[in-house]
Amino acid sequence: MYEVFFQKFRDKVSLTKEEEGLIKQFLTPKKLRKKQYLLQDGDVCKHIAFVEKGALKAYTVDESGTEHIVQFALEGWTISDLYSFLTGEPATYNIDAVEDSELILISKAAHEELLQQLPKYETYIRLQITGAYIALQKRLTSIISLPLEERYKHFTTTYPDIAQRVPQHMIASYMGLTPETLSRIRSRIFSRK
Amino acid sequence: MNTKQTIAVIGATGNMGSNIAKNLSRGNNRVLLFGNEKEKAEAVLNDIKNSNSSADVEALECPADASWEADIIILAVPYQAEREIAEKIKEVANQKIVISIANPLNENYDGLVTAPDTSAAEQLQKLLPNSKVVKAFNTTFAADFATPVIDGKQADAFVAGNDEEAVNTVTELVKTAGFNPIVAGDLKVSRTLENMQLLLIQLGIKYNYNWLAGWKILHN
Repeated sequence: MYEVFFQKFRDKVSLTKEEEGLIKQFLTPKKLRKKQYLLQDGDVCKHIAFVEKGALKAYTVDESGTEHIVQFALEGWTISDLYSFLTGEPATYNIDAVEDSELILISKAAHEELLQQLPKYETYIRLQITGAYIALQKRLTSIISLPLEERYKHFTTTYPDIAQRVPQHMIASYMGLTPETLSRIRSRIFSRK
Repeated sequence: MNTKQTIAVIGATGNMGSNIAKNLSRGNNRVLLFGNEKEKAEAVLNDIKNSNSSADVEALECPADASWEADIIILAVPYQAEREIAEKIKEVANQKIVISIANPLNENYDGLVTAPDTSAAEQLQKLLPNSKVVKAFNTTFAADFATPVIDGKQADAFVAGNDEEAVNTVTELVKTAGFNPIVAGDLKVSRTLENMQLLLIQLGIKYNYNWLAGWKILHN
């Protein structure tokens, strides 16, 4: 239930059995089935979700009802509307399950308690957020500076798991393209192989 | 709130469990039913679906699976069964709201089996130390769920717990179920609430209230 969570944690910061036990007290195990929401926009984001198994996506919905995906999260990743989580303001993102998923949720109260009680948790969170920030920088750089075909290649080589597991229309949404445009890019790339 | 909450009703085939499940399925909730007998759980499921075809309800065969998927767990089992269920769901109920509805009545309905310095809710909190136990729905009879307005007055339903956010969430559930919620205090107040239901049961037997009765606080 917590295997991936603690494995990822120990990749960044070592933990004693006692510290692991302390952290466990604050974690909420939660199952989410495919297409179910973890969060809908307008609600306050009350948890950071760590994906133990499965896949989630965070997205906005525009006035025409089109989804714009800002992030995917597979095993070992975290996902939330961080702004809403930290400020208590209503969320602007929706988060739902792309596959049946098993999550570890950390509530605001649990998060703050862990930050106080365990400096190693603070280190873990700092490294986690730093990693997410770098990923976001890379994604932004790719969007503003690379031609479409390069962007797609960059995405599939950086995240081969997502490219394999997630339907094409979601990848198109993540890249800011229509499914038709993505399809044309893909056929251009594959015809050259 | 826009996001649907998932509520596991453990003991969903009993009188209380089935009525709680039915009323909560009318709100923005996904309700998971667990009962020891699968056929009975299916019957409760069909009954809910028949009265409300858009209800998001499902019967599950394992209390731990239902609780794992849930945001909120309602233990609608007799006091005597709480320990066994608590052991089964302990790990997946971590940090979650667990609602204690039980009244620890003795066999003759003339006293409680718990010591005066504790309550069923506080004992459940000891069994589930990392869960947020909240007392609710213990002063309402099963029949009250179909008729929460008795003699022209909406029955009160008391909520007690130590975690403020959890108490607020349960207060909303009490409203959804059709009752007037009153936050009574911290979990210790469960001792009084459980005794209140003992009195109501005794009065019900004495004056033949026919199991349709409730509490109403009169105030200005």
